[in-house]
Amino acid sequence: MSVDAGTLLAICVMALATVFNRTAGFFLMRLIPVTPRVRKVLDCLPGAVLVALLAPGAVHGDKGMMAGLVAAVVAAKLVRNDLIPVAAAMAAAAATRAFLP
Amino acid sequence: MPHSDHPPTTLTLAGFFDGARTIFPLMPGLVVFAMAFGAAAAQKGLSLTEAGLFSGLVFAGLAQMVALEGWSTHWTAASLLALGFLTMTVNMRHVLMAAALRPWFAPLPAWQSYSALVLLADNNWALAMRYHTQGGRDAGYFIGAGFITWVIWVIGTLAGHVVGGGIPDPKAVGVDLVVPAFFIAMLLPNWRGRREAVGWGVAATVAIVTSFVLAGWWFIVIGALAGAVAGGFTDER
Repeated sequence: MSVDAGTLLAICVMALATVFNRTAGFFLMRLIPVTPRVRKVLDCLPGAVLVALLAPGAVHGDKGMMAGLVAAVVAAKLVRNDLIPVAAAMAAAAATRAFLP
Repeated sequence: MPHSDHPPTTLTLAGFFDGARTIFPLMPGLVVFAMAFGAAAAQKGLSLTEAGLFSGLVFAGLAQMVALEGWSTHWTAASLLALGFLTMTVNMRHVLMAAALRPWFAPLPAWQSYSALVLLADNNWALAMRYHTQGGRDAGYFIGAGFITWVIWVIGTLAGHVVGGGIPDPKAVGVDLVVPAFFIAMLLPNWRGRREAVGWGVAATVAIVTSFVLAGWWFIVIGALAGAVAGGFTDER
């Protein structure tokens, strides 16, 4: 049950940094007037963040990653349910890695 | 105005449970990654309490894994500063994510909006933005999904620390696809037309190119900003 003082300090530094990241963008947007144009950029932001997270992963990933992502896209287009794309992607990636090494 | 036909921002317990329930498909991925972090923390010599505090206070999977790589037993002012800077750069995307929440959370009292933001993680943010796109305005949805993610993240970390090795290889069973596949399910309903074609195309291209030329995690923020601006300046015909 030991807690080292230095380790605790390091954890607190990280906690402060993450809280800063989590709140700074929200605070800064108070200072920026939300014109119709800014509103459009904000509306496009969620999709752009997700694409910027996913695309390099697909390029740098293995065959299993690619198969899984394709399976997820197909499943998400076919059904309105979040579990099916996740299950399809896991199955496609696991199968590709097992049978096409 | 397109926004006047939506209900005003609320914060209810019903929304909390709704959000908590909808994060369910992420469970296998969350548990395995939390356990992997717990096991890695044990290997680096962190005690069970330290590992639990780590996940409970920091609550940022990628940043925690990266920080653990260079974990020290002797911290100096300089190494603590470097650790803080590393954490901020790895999680810089959260700045953009929180900015996108402004139109939705702005009507809430500051203590509520900032308390909710402390629970901001990729998963509940992605889930909540889809909910918002579909007309949802209950901030409880974001908090519920974030709270469950936090609970699983901490419990999984403790479990991984206790179990240690012997956790199945996440890649062999495809667990590394859980989060990307979930993101795809969150992303696709955002597609409306020309604006997304331009915005997503620019985001993907810039993120991929940046990932080759710049070390670290800058590709997320740079790609996302480029894509959002390109999409925002594209007008539907």
